[in-house]
Amino acid sequence: MEIGGVNRNDRFTRGSRLVDVLSKAGLAFAIVAVMLYGSLVSPAFFTSGNLLNVLTSMSIVGIVVVGMTFVLVVGGLADLSVPATIACGAILSLGLQPMIGPLPAFLLAVGLAGLIGLLNGGLVGYVGINPIIATLGVGTIGLGIVQAAVGGVIVYGSNPASAEFAKGRLFGIPVVVLIFLVIALVGHFVLSRSFWGRWTLATGGNYSAAEASAVPVRAVKAGAFVITALASGISGGLLGLTLQSARPLIGGGYEFSAITAVVVGGVSIVGGFGSVPRAIAGLIFVQLLTNVMVLDGVRTPIQGFLLGILIVGAVGMDAALRKRGVA
Amino acid sequence: MTVAADCALDMRGISKNFPGVKALSNVNFAVKFGTVHAVVGENGAGKSTLMKILNGSYAPTSGTIKVGDAEVRMRRPADAQALGIRMVHQEINLVPDLTVAENVYLGRMPGKWTFLRKREMVRAAAAVLDELGAAINPRERLGNLSISQQQLVEIAKAYAAQPRIIVLDEPTSSLSEHETAALFRILRKMRDDGIAIVYISHRLKEVLEIADEVTVLRDGSMIQTRPIKGIKAADMIRLMVGREVSNVFPKSPAAIGKSVLRVEHISDGQRFRDVSFEVRAGEILGLTGLVGAGRTEVARAIFGLSRLVEGTVSVNGREVSINSPSQAVRAGIAYVPEDRKGDGVVPGMSVRENISLPILRRLTRFGRISRSADRALARDSVKQFSISPPDGERRISLLSGGNQQKAVIAKWLAAKPSALILDEPTRGVDVGAKAEIHHIIGQLVAGGMAVVMISSELPEILGVCDRVVVMRDGYASEPLLRSELSEERIMALATGEEMA
Repeated sequence: MEIGGVNRNDRFTRGSRLVDVLSKAGLAFAIVAVMLYGSLVSPAFFTSGNLLNVLTSMSIVGIVVVGMTFVLVVGGLADLSVPATIACGAILSLGLQPMIGPLPAFLLAVGLAGLIGLLNGGLVGYVGINPIIATLGVGTIGLGIVQAAVGGVIVYGSNPASAEFAKGRLFGIPVVVLIFLVIALVGHFVLSRSFWGRWTLATGGNYSAAEASAVPVRAVKAGAFVITALASGISGGLLGLTLQSARPLIGGGYEFSAITAVVVGGVSIVGGFGSVPRAIAGLIFVQLLTNVMVLDGVRTPIQGFLLGILIVGAVGMDAALRKRGVA
Repeated sequence: MTVAADCALDMRGISKNFPGVKALSNVNFAVKFGTVHAVVGENGAGKSTLMKILNGSYAPTSGTIKVGDAEVRMRRPADAQALGIRMVHQEINLVPDLTVAENVYLGRMPGKWTFLRKREMVRAAAAVLDELGAAINPRERLGNLSISQQQLVEIAKAYAAQPRIIVLDEPTSSLSEHETAALFRILRKMRDDGIAIVYISHRLKEVLEIADEVTVLRDGSMIQTRPIKGIKAADMIRLMVGREVSNVFPKSPAAIGKSVLRVEHISDGQRFRDVSFEVRAGEILGLTGLVGAGRTEVARAIFGLSRLVEGTVSVNGREVSINSPSQAVRAGIAYVPEDRKGDGVVPGMSVRENISLPILRRLTRFGRISRSADRALARDSVKQFSISPPDGERRISLLSGGNQQKAVIAKWLAAKPSALILDEPTRGVDVGAKAEIHHIIGQLVAGGMAVVMISSELPEILGVCDRVVVMRDGYASEPLLRSELSEERIMALATGEEMA
């Protein structure tokens, strides 16, 4: 009885070991390699100032990455409304400060960003619109509203205390980094230990089987977009507070940085497989690589070129490994 | 036919080792032109490995293969195809968005390099379908066809390549008895054309009907090749399992209690109309009919996977409104779907994660899944249903079909339903696993559960069910007692061909 099972299993474990080596240890090796290369080519790389800088800018994207992981794992492809939700978070948390105070402004900004996510989730999960189209559309609408609300100008912060807090440190670690770590831990817990995370993985792994197993698949799918929007709102709010100014296009490019990190981290683009630590490992790698390239004086177009190759390579590897694992 | 006696295929001394496992050892397998040669054996007996070697997917560790008169060495499926070997897989491997004709000629479109000669292709496909006696429009989008029609297209695709050897793997698993008869006409025609046909099936009755010779495999070895004349199903089962299987369909008598699930005049406005039946505690109600008669649709609607436009569903005497599977679970209804791969399992997850999926909330505290409760549930299920290998952490897609099915049933029993709907629970599983699944169902009803079993296999329906409802074109017959039933009577009701 065992023969068929074992040989299939053998094929699989080979594939799975490869997946493990390539996306866990492989990424760790790559990170170490980039750090070694960085310290060789630039004396500025291995300084606490530079690394803290990398860490801080990484944290802002990292918060979005945590949300985006849910979107990819649930089989929701990608959330392209991130720039709009970041702008919403940044502009509102600064713009509402004079009226209601810094903390309520921040919370309200995040809440409204969540509303954008709810709209995304409704369209994707319940109406069944392609996520790329839905989030692109909702993002464009959201950005339009935000721009109209502030009249297309730059909004400045008016509460120095909140700026101090956002730029400050706790036990020598930047506050932004701490917030990112907390969100990453919560995200990791939810995805790997909670029923919601199991539902997310099941929905991404086989939508109809999950549905037939009494998983509320529509809500789970919608939820991933709400999580991403809330994360982006927080990220935008922190970005606004750190910069003390926000313009409508403040969030441009964050969606691609986040997707790149998640994909390079080995999270499957078709869903059903992935974790927050993997995505963050991808993020660390991409951020360090970018930093080293900047320090090394690599020209911007070349940087983009290399990152593009990285994405295509990661997605290609995902497809190849998936074939091997399932066949 | 002059070629009838010639050897189409001669595999000698075939062994295949995988690291740590001997999948095949010293198997001899020969097929003559113009014959149907059945291969039977339990899951894991080595049938798929042998066919994968024949198909060029695997290279044998040792042994020789002769196709016609020439010894061959195949490295990939394309090599096998070039030699005129075609395989029709159990699972449909077609492109739903292409037309029937495009599917038939997929990969070898007629015409020059760039321009497809569409009209020519449609004409050729029509000719092939016509020759096979399949009433299918070649311009139809494949996805619009029923599963059984798609299966016929799959066969037409293989046939259109004018093969010398054609391998069919469980071709009737999604066909009704009626359609099976049509398929057999096609196979006899191909056989008479001189094609060598290798026929793999768990359905011994069909093997007896269609095959000229049969080869039995067990545990990677060839047990026997015999002409079909003079062999009985019981002989084949004994050779396959190496032991006597006394009763393939054990029906343990259970005390029948009060009504558990009752549906009255339900209709989805499309696929079925005015369907009423009830199932009582300790009872197995069979739901049969031709594929496409609306059986699965009824089950899916009761379970909240699609909408009812009319009628009522009651559980334990209380009318319930079910719009989603989670409401059905709360009402005490569970459903084991027909399409195990599509709706039954999440392939990337472990057996444990699959089993706890419907009742995850009950294992959760403050949002966190209790690891110990999760593991304990998997452990108990694996033990209770003797899921093999007994490892809850194994990825479910690595289990055999029968064991996956047991896990899917286990998943639903964890929810402790009062009524269980099983849709083709033994399709594509081997004799041993089938008896086990029947045994499990028997235990469930003995414990007071009400079971609805959908099946196309009449011996199964007649062997297991207390009462039977036959569906035809979306309408359901009155429930019939087992004592009033025979295969002929069910077929008459299912096809409407005669009123018995």
